[in-house]
Amino acid sequence: MMVYARIVVQYLAVFVVALVVNFSLPRIAPGDPLNYMLPEDVLASMTPAEEGEVLREFGLDKPLPVQFANYAAGVFRGNLGVSVRYGEPVWGIVLDRLPWTLLLMGWALAISSLLGSGFGILAAWWRGGRFDLSSLVAVLFVGSAPPFWVAMLAITLFSAELGWLPSFGAAPLGAIPGSPSYLLGVVERLVMPVAALALFQTANILLTARSSMSIALGQDYITFARAKGVTERNVFFRHAFRNALLPIYTNVMISIGGLVGGALVIETVFSYPGIGTLILEGVEARDYNLLQGVFLLATVGVVLANLIADLGYPLLDPRVRRA
Amino acid sequence: MRKLFRLAALPFALAICAATGSTGASAQSTGAGLSGATVPPATFLSAVNHDGPKSADELTLGMWSGAGNVTTYTIGNSWNDWVLWLVFDKLREPSPYVGKAEDWLATSITQISDDARVWEIKLRDGVKWHDGTDFTAEDVAFTFEYYREGPANRWTHHASAVPRMVGIEVVDRLTVRLTSEKPMPNFDRITAADLPIIQKKQWENVKEPRSFTDLGIGTGPYRIVDYKADQYYRFEANEDYWRGAPVVKRLNLVMIKDPQTMFTALKTGEIDGAARPVPPELVLQWKADDDLEMISAPTLWGAWLDINVARKPFDDRDLRHAVSLAVNPQPMLERVMLGQGKSGKHSWPHVDSFWTKPDLSAPYDPQQAKAILDERGYVDTDGDGFRENPEGEAMNWSLKIASNQPLFLRAAEMVADQLADVGIRAKAETIDPGSMSALWRTRDFDLRIADITPHGIADQDMMIILYQGDKKREMVFDEEKADIVSRWLDQETREDRLKVSYELQEYQTRYPNRVMLWYPESVFAYRWEAFDNYVPSAGYGIFHKYSFLPESARGETTDPLLY
Repeated sequence: MMVYARIVVQYLAVFVVALVVNFSLPRIAPGDPLNYMLPEDVLASMTPAEEGEVLREFGLDKPLPVQFANYAAGVFRGNLGVSVRYGEPVWGIVLDRLPWTLLLMGWALAISSLLGSGFGILAAWWRGGRFDLSSLVAVLFVGSAPPFWVAMLAITLFSAELGWLPSFGAAPLGAIPGSPSYLLGVVERLVMPVAALALFQTANILLTARSSMSIALGQDYITFARAKGVTERNVFFRHAFRNALLPIYTNVMISIGGLVGGALVIETVFSYPGIGTLILEGVEARDYNLLQGVFLLATVGVVLANLIADLGYPLLDPRVRRA
Repeated sequence: MRKLFRLAALPFALAICAATGSTGASAQSTGAGLSGATVPPATFLSAVNHDGPKSADELTLGMWSGAGNVTTYTIGNSWNDWVLWLVFDKLREPSPYVGKAEDWLATSITQISDDARVWEIKLRDGVKWHDGTDFTAEDVAFTFEYYREGPANRWTHHASAVPRMVGIEVVDRLTVRLTSEKPMPNFDRITAADLPIIQKKQWENVKEPRSFTDLGIGTGPYRIVDYKADQYYRFEANEDYWRGAPVVKRLNLVMIKDPQTMFTALKTGEIDGAARPVPPELVLQWKADDDLEMISAPTLWGAWLDINVARKPFDDRDLRHAVSLAVNPQPMLERVMLGQGKSGKHSWPHVDSFWTKPDLSAPYDPQQAKAILDERGYVDTDGDGFRENPEGEAMNWSLKIASNQPLFLRAAEMVADQLADVGIRAKAETIDPGSMSALWRTRDFDLRIADITPHGIADQDMMIILYQGDKKREMVFDEEKADIVSRWLDQETREDRLKVSYELQEYQTRYPNRVMLWYPESVFAYRWEAFDNYVPSAGYGIFHKYSFLPESARGETTDPLLY
């Protein structure tokens, strides 16, 4: 119990540090929201008082410590301020976009984890064989291909040439949410982004799984199990796989952070209205409130993922449980 | 008896003459205050001119630049202001860029005072807002007051700066009188043709306009019925539009930022038109495409080399003159734009603007550039082939471009090469777009290449706005230029103002703070089977509200199209 309590306290401390970083990071970049809101010629003729009046609407005219205090207090009240770019509460914008990113990332994570782990383990089991060699070649190629390039190729092939799949958006415009045509449209628009995002992660997870499984298969206890007459199937599942699972699990959890970055690029190429495009739009507009909110969400997501990972270890490894 | 009749007729004759003379100010002028430059006709580019439908139930267009909440506070540039005009009207239309405008919400705009400071606007009766209420003089007066007193946006200078309104008076239900601080002889041609009129009822209690997210209520041909900012916008035709019901009943705009994705979506039929200029290389490819048609329509944009006059040595106007002489835009036009456009050697304003001085040209003369640099003390003292400043310090100029503008990178490399030919070392550097737009305010650059909208390059008032304000005054520390600007502001007639504008243009060409590089030809593509009734309007391309009005309702808002 104390172990769990200590973990939670540690993550709370991380959260506080993240608040400070999330507040500071958008402000480090040159410029401010005024450059986005107003053209140069208008800015040229404005006095500092007039500039302040424009920023006042978003609480950005106050001294930095006051802005930070408002931001921190707002986080716990569920008020992340108003977006400069959209004029709407940040929280509402984020909640509106989050499901699309979760859909995209969730499927990409599930597919890449299953495929990567599965193929990696099999490659280790048939190490040196045809499957192992061909999977390594495929991984090297796929892992080197930038996701945005894969995305553009996919659009060229499946949209432009074959006309099989739509090339942009998350849902068909005008369809009633929840209707069969809407759901079908959502699925159609997920295929290419998920594939582009998952391919890169699959390669990464495959290599880790192969390596982890290879190490496990080379251990003394495997030799002993075979000497005892344990069947190959049980050697595979009850001994090798269980021990290889921990590094694979860790890598899958870490890849969530990579998926966030990949989603940013993929969402831009496909005009997919998720958190990734929100980050890009926020940076472009120097929308401090929006960026603070999105970074906070990303932080919470990564922290949660790591917390789940940490809490999951004892379940997977009895040794950690006993410790 | 005859004498009596003549005496009685005289006041009537005088009244008729006065009415004719005053309404002449609001009629289309072909001579007063016009240089003679005209926007060239648009050109149909496709190999085959299909005959598609002239109306449509629904159209979906792709757009790449966000339109915010479709208000004047969240739309600020010329890539997307056409979205605003779907919902809102102006007193005269189509724009301030072409020297001609026809009465739209106004039925007449009359100069009342000899010094061009007082104008009277008669409004059209029977126009309704989208909520069914009457459009009246209260709305027009409110619009000017709101823009004069409230937070700034791209349009507020029309009431708060150039010109600055000091009197806004509702004379009666359909008449407004405006008085400006300085003369505004082009009020009917520029301000009236640029300022969107907003509803008093909807906006009078809005204190934070950038957070205003309600559906905008306008008088325009389309009602906005649904939107998610920078994702999609859905419009329905205003069937009671005073000019005539639009021929496209439902209009959807979808945001597609990536250019490849947008043009792929057009090719596959996911969208019916791409409100984004077709890249030069794609123009050549699509000319013979059976599914698509393309029109080259004047959008009055420009690409320029901006010089930071607030930083030494660029405050030396002779140095800037030398830079102008050293830059040759023609190769950039040929290699970067594949010949699709005009060379910037005309200089500023836009070569096709109605107030452009005829025969204005910034010559290309590297030999003269070298001579000026030698004379001013910019010589190569250390023998490395590049000049130092008169103090002997090395000059390594940075030439910044935004990372989302690949064409500008190539142009920047060519500019650096041309400057090297006259012994100036410059290096192209890319930065993110957000930092790029901050550069101007921080003045933390040497040179930069950016594009300029019609608002900045084809709007005569805007040219002077660029010299107003504390930050800009640093750019006008030259007394000669400051004197020209001051005289421009005091001119009371179109002709006099144009003459002074010519002086400023000549001065700017010789001692530029911005060197024009090229004026791009803007080509737009659409699927003719969905709708085949687009028309060009200078400054807006082909995607604008006039394309969706019945042909009989378009009036003078569109331009000729050559086949």
